[in-house]
Amino acid sequence: MLDTGISPQRSIGRNPRMDLYLDLAQLISGFLLVGFLWTHMVFVATIIIGVNTFNSLAQFLDDYYLSYVGIPFIGLVALIHVIVVCRRIPNRYQDYWRHARTIMHFDTWTWIFQVVTALGIAFLAGIHVFLVIMGWPIEADTSAARMHAFWWFYLVLLILGEYHAGFGIYRQFVKWGWIKRKTIGFALKSITVIIVALGLAALWVFVQLGGALR
Amino acid sequence: MKNRTLTFSIFRYNPATPEIKPHMQSYQLDETTGMTVFVALNRIREEQDPSLMFDFVCRAAICGSCAMLINGKPRLACKTLTRDYGSKITLMPLPVFKLIGDLSVDTGTWFRHLSIKTRAWIHTNKEFDPKALEERMDNATALEIYEPERCIECGCCIAGCATANIREDFLGAAGLNRVARFMVDPRDHRTEQEYFEVVGSDEGVFGCYGLMACDDNCPTQLPLQWQLAFVRRKMAVAGLKR
Repeated sequence: MLDTGISPQRSIGRNPRMDLYLDLAQLISGFLLVGFLWTHMVFVATIIIGVNTFNSLAQFLDDYYLSYVGIPFIGLVALIHVIVVCRRIPNRYQDYWRHARTIMHFDTWTWIFQVVTALGIAFLAGIHVFLVIMGWPIEADTSAARMHAFWWFYLVLLILGEYHAGFGIYRQFVKWGWIKRKTIGFALKSITVIIVALGLAALWVFVQLGGALR
Repeated sequence: MKNRTLTFSIFRYNPATPEIKPHMQSYQLDETTGMTVFVALNRIREEQDPSLMFDFVCRAAICGSCAMLINGKPRLACKTLTRDYGSKITLMPLPVFKLIGDLSVDTGTWFRHLSIKTRAWIHTNKEFDPKALEERMDNATALEIYEPERCIECGCCIAGCATANIREDFLGAAGLNRVARFMVDPRDHRTEQEYFEVVGSDEGVFGCYGLMACDDNCPTQLPLQWQLAFVRRKMAVAGLKR
């Protein structure tokens, strides 16, 4: 038998594939959430075309029970994502902070903000989902009233969400892929800029509508 | 070009004299044409302070001894030109590795441990026949093996790695790059599953956050992102198969 350095003691009591499963769970849940976020922003942006388009899309998702399946599903995926990524947070965050301040390396910094934005998103997105469900069904005038009153809330959530999604998916491509970092970075930055622009435009339209409705 | 006076702020600590606490000490030096940090350190030691400890052997970026944090970034002193920096340069020993004194760290013990842990040698069941001709290898495979073999074990990728700085048992880019080299070697008879036992965990490839400070700071420009992703994909497939 070949001596491969496998320690027999470690083979009992622990699934040796657990680290892989957790890593895959992080990857898959992350991809689903990014997919959801981008779709969500495109759907929201239909308000730019018109109030009727927005309302009929919301109606369509409601009629075919897509909202009722989608929202709990994404909630579950988000919960899995949170549980799985928590293992990445260092036991002593000072160690990471000191390291980042020493080597002054761009991607090392962006990861710190990955944690910060995660906390922000967990809090703000929770409030957002709660407000949407309380005001069910989704309609342009209720959404507009919300955006008009809390535009700053949505502005912050938009930026945090896009940052987290953009850099998160970038890192997954870097870890698994065979695409050059510059190439994938450029592609994701471009998508992020488009999505943020759509989000800002939609927010602007909503705020204008909300003002008009009063 | 007007000659500059450089100020080097250098980490000082000698474990043999623990009563003198770690501190930063400044040295001033006139810059000369084509000066490297390695040249500057030798002049400081010869002209100003013979007690200054730092490592060097080849002064040609081959031996990997003179790696240190130059203005916070892991670099080889012999490959770093002072003209690329401002007039104040901070020098610190590499983190993670055991400090010998001042800028000198023990990378040898760390890398020896790595070799033992990853069993970094050819594993084969074949009986060696000294009279037989050496088996041939196609050129593409040979190149795939020799590219990661260019690693000089300077430790820059380990010092730059957030995971290696946080958890002691992480193999880092140098370790995973080494394993990748054996994975493509047709002379090595280890199975995917056996490799998985060694690197298919958070100590190995799944501990990588993908921050790529290793890739960005490698003095020999090894394709570390490629190597890490290769091992990760291979290990994911191996782990899911069974």
